[in-house]
Amino acid sequence: MARARVEQQPAATGTTLIVTVGLGIAFVLFMAFLNVVKTGNLLNESNLLYASLIFYAGAGALYLGFGVTGTDSYVRFASIATWIGLAANTGAVAHRWYEAGHPPFASIYEMLLSFVWTLAVLTLIAEKKFGVKVIGTVTMPVAIVGVVLMQLLRTEVHPLVPALQSTWLHVHVTLAMLAYAACALSFALALMFLIQDKMQNETFLATTSLFTIGIYLGILTRFENWGGLSVVAWNAQEKSEMFLQRGVRLFVIVPDLGWLMLLVMLVVAAPFVLYVIGRVRNNEALFTLANRGVFVSILLQIVALAVFLLRARAGQYPSLDAEGFYATSLAASPFILSGLVGGIFSSLLYLLLLWRRPDLERLLPTAEALDRITYKTICIAFPLLTLMIAAGAYWANRTWGSYWSWDPKETWAAITWLVYAGYLHMRITRGWRGRRAAYFAILGFAVVMFTFFGVTYLLPGLHAYA
Amino acid sequence: MAVHVRRLRRKIWQVLSSIKTGVVLLITVVVLSAAGTIVLQRPVTEPDEMQRAYSPQMLRILDGVGLTDVFHARWFVALMILVSLSIIAASVERFPNAWRYYARPYKSPDKTFRKALPLQKQVPIPDEETGLVAAERSLHALGFQAERVVQRNHFSLFAERNRISEMAVYIVHASLLLIFFGGIVDALWGWRGFVKLTQGQQSSVVELRDGKQKSLPFAVRCDSAGQENYADGTPKKWWSQLTVVRNGQDLERKEIVVNDPMVYGGIRFYQASYGPTGKLEKLLLTAKTTSGAAEQKDLALGLNETATLDSDTTVQLSEFIPDYVIGDGRVYTRSNSVQNPAAHLVVISRKTAKRVNVWFPALEGFAENTQSPYQFDAVDLKMGYFTGLEVSHEPGQWAVWAGVVGMGVGLAFVFYVAHTRFWVVPVQEANGKLTLWVGGLANRNREAFEERFRGLVNKIEAEVKKESEAPAHTRVPSIA
Repeated sequence: MARARVEQQPAATGTTLIVTVGLGIAFVLFMAFLNVVKTGNLLNESNLLYASLIFYAGAGALYLGFGVTGTDSYVRFASIATWIGLAANTGAVAHRWYEAGHPPFASIYEMLLSFVWTLAVLTLIAEKKFGVKVIGTVTMPVAIVGVVLMQLLRTEVHPLVPALQSTWLHVHVTLAMLAYAACALSFALALMFLIQDKMQNETFLATTSLFTIGIYLGILTRFENWGGLSVVAWNAQEKSEMFLQRGVRLFVIVPDLGWLMLLVMLVVAAPFVLYVIGRVRNNEALFTLANRGVFVSILLQIVALAVFLLRARAGQYPSLDAEGFYATSLAASPFILSGLVGGIFSSLLYLLLLWRRPDLERLLPTAEALDRITYKTICIAFPLLTLMIAAGAYWANRTWGSYWSWDPKETWAAITWLVYAGYLHMRITRGWRGRRAAYFAILGFAVVMFTFFGVTYLLPGLHAYA
Repeated sequence: MAVHVRRLRRKIWQVLSSIKTGVVLLITVVVLSAAGTIVLQRPVTEPDEMQRAYSPQMLRILDGVGLTDVFHARWFVALMILVSLSIIAASVERFPNAWRYYARPYKSPDKTFRKALPLQKQVPIPDEETGLVAAERSLHALGFQAERVVQRNHFSLFAERNRISEMAVYIVHASLLLIFFGGIVDALWGWRGFVKLTQGQQSSVVELRDGKQKSLPFAVRCDSAGQENYADGTPKKWWSQLTVVRNGQDLERKEIVVNDPMVYGGIRFYQASYGPTGKLEKLLLTAKTTSGAAEQKDLALGLNETATLDSDTTVQLSEFIPDYVIGDGRVYTRSNSVQNPAAHLVVISRKTAKRVNVWFPALEGFAENTQSPYQFDAVDLKMGYFTGLEVSHEPGQWAVWAGVVGMGVGLAFVFYVAHTRFWVVPVQEANGKLTLWVGGLANRNREAFEERFRGLVNKIEAEVKKESEAPAHTRVPSIA
C-alpha cells in the first residue's frame, strides 16, 4: 500500500523541492556575494567554509527529500550540490593547511574540517560506487552540523607546541579519521540492516531513547550545586579555553541550566519507560504514547539547545575554583553542543523511520547485502585501527620515550580494537551473521564514540591537545 | 593416578584452547582496562589528589585490590599471560590442520567433494584434451598457471593462488604474541627516568620514576640548550646539544629536539623540558664612587663571587632572589622564575672591615645603599637554564615493532588476499556424454569470486566451441 502511495505521487513535487532549494542557494549566495563585494575578499577560508555550508545544506535538504519521498531526481541534484560543497570544503582545507603550515589535524576545529571532508567523500563514494543512495540522508545532516560547529569554533591558526610537530602525528590522526569514518559507516549500515531485517519500530524507539538518555546523563555529569551546569570558561581575546594551571581547565557554573537538562533527561527517558511498561504488560497502546513522547522530547530538546546557545553566548558566570565572574562560549563546550545536536538528530531519524519505513525499506539494499557490506567495512576499519594505534605508539615513543603508557585514550583505543577483534572472531570462527553481528557492529561504534568524545570529555590524560 | 593427571591436563588444555575461553578473557581485559581509565591511577595522580577524590576506606579498598594501579598490578600481568597462553593454545590446537591443508594442497577432487562443492559447473566437451586445453587457456587468461594432475587413467587440472593466505591468521597471532613479549620484557627490564642538566654540566646518574637512582656506564653532558619561540611567545622548539662522555673522552654528539631523541647503548635521551633554574649565572653591574671622582667600572658577578673595586674595597654578590617577597623580617623567594628579582651585594672595606649591605632594589629595612662608598647600577641578569631529559631503556621495543610490522602484513593477507582454487576434471556421465567438471573455491570475498568463476566457465565454453570448430587434424587424440 505504501509503495502504491509513493508511486502515485505527482512528478511535480520532485521539481518543487529542487527549485526551492536551488532558489535558496542562489539567494544565499547572492547575499554572500554582496558581502564579498563590500569587503573585497573572495577566496578566504571562512568564505569557502560558508560556501560549503550552503551547498551541503542544499544537498542535505535534497537527500532528506529523497529519504522521505524516494524521488530519484533529488539524488542527482543532491550529489551535484555535494560535489560543489566538497570542492569548497577542499579549498578550505587547503587554505588552512597552507596558512598553518601543517596538515589540519591540530585542534578540534581542524579535525572537524577534515572529518566533514572525509564524510562528504565517503558519501559520494558510497553513492556512486555502491549505489547506497540513501546514505546522504544520514551523512549530510552530520556534515552540516559539523560545518555549523566549525563556524562557532572558528579559531586563528595556533602554532603547534613542540610535541605535536611530527609527521607521525599526522599519520596517526589521518589513520584515526579514516578508521573512525569506516566504523561510522559500518554503524550506519548495521542500522540499515536492522531496518531491512524487520526489526520492530518499538525496538528502535527504545534504543533511540536510551541513546538520548546516555547523552543527557553525560551532560549531567557536569551538574553542579543549586542546579547549575559547569562549562569551561572562555577567554574571548585569546580565543581559547581558560586554564587554572597547565592541563586544568577553569569551570564556570551556568545557573539553572542543570535543572533544565535534568528535566529534558526525564522527558527523553519517558518513551523508554513507556516502552518497558508496554512490553511487560503487553500493551500496544503504550507504544503509541511513547511515539508521541518522542515528538514532545524533540521539542524539549530543541528548547534545551536554544537555552544553552543563549546562555553560553552571553553572560558572566561564577566559578567554584576562582574568584570573580567569567564568560563562556559555545566553542568551550563542543561536546555538550554536539551531544545536544546529536540527540535531536537521532530522534528525528527515528521519526523518519516511524513515518516512512515502507519507503526506506524499498530504497535500501537487501538485508543480506547490507550484512555483507557491514562486514566489509569492518574489514577495512580493523586494519586501519591497528595501524592508527601503531603510528600513535611510534610517535609517543619518539616524543615521550615510551610506546605505551596506558593513558585513558590509549587504553580505550585498545578496547575499541579488542571489540572489533571480538566481532571478527565471532564472525569468522563462529559464523555470526545477521542480527548478532549487527549488534556487535553497533557496540563497536559506541565504543569508538566513547573513545573519541567520552574520553576527552570525561577522563583525564595526555591527549589533552585534541 | 597417572591417568587422572593426564585427563586433567587434557581438560586444562581444552579449556585454554577453546574460543569461549578466549572471548571470556578478552571481555575481562576490556572490563578491567576500562576500570583502569575510570579509577584514578597511582603513579600518575599525586597522593593528595587521590585522597581528595576518594574517602579513606574507599581508597584502602581500591589500593587493596590493586585498582589504583591496574596496569602494573600482578593480576593484570597474570591476565595478560593467560591471554597469551590462550592464544598459543588455540593456535597450537588448530595449526596442524591448517598446516596440513597448506603443505599438501588438495589437487584431485574425488566424487564426494565434486558433489558437495557449492560452486561448480559442467561443460560438455567433444574429447578430454580439447576440454583440458580450453580450460588451461581460460585459466591462463585469468592469471592462473594450471597444473596437470595425473589421475588413474586421465589428467585433471588444478590451479590456485595465494595459498599463504591460509596461514595469515597465524602470522597475526604470532605478531600479537611478539608484541606482548616485548611489552613484558620492557616491564621487567626496562626503566624510565629523568636527568636535569645545566649548560656545561654532565651527569651519569638518572633519577628513576620510583625515586631510586641509576648509574649509567657513561656520562652525558649538555653543551648548550635553548628555546625558540613563535611570534606570540609560545614555545616552538626546545633543543639541547648533548655529548656522551666515557673515561674523559667525547664519544658521540647530537643535537636533540622534542621529536628527535639521541640513542646511545640502547638508552634513549629525549628532550622533555627546558626552563630557568632560578639560579643566577652572572649579574652585570656598573659601579662608580659616590663622590663621582673615579670613572665607571663594569662588573659581572656570579653568586658568591667577589670583585675588587679599588685597593681597599671589594664587592661580593651574596644572595640572589628570583621572585622576592618580604615577611617576618626576612626576604623569601616565591618561585624559581625571575618575576621580581632582588640581589644582595656586600661591600667590604679591608682596612676598617666595614660591611655594607647593598640591595637591588633598595629594600627598606635591609638596604644600606646610601652608606656605600660606591653607587651600583644593575644592568642585566644572565640566568641559568636547565634542559630536562627523559631517559629510557626499552630492550623489548624491537620485538614490539617487529610484531607491529608482522601484524600489518598478516592483516593485509587476512582481509585482502583470498586463497582461490580451481579444479577441472573431465567426467564421463552415466549417459556416456563427456563433460568437463569445473569447480572453484575461495576462502573469502566469495561474491567477487563467484563472478570470476562464471567468467571462467563462459570462457571455457567459448574456447571449447572454438576448438571443436577447428579442423579435426589439429586435435590431439585423447589418452582415454
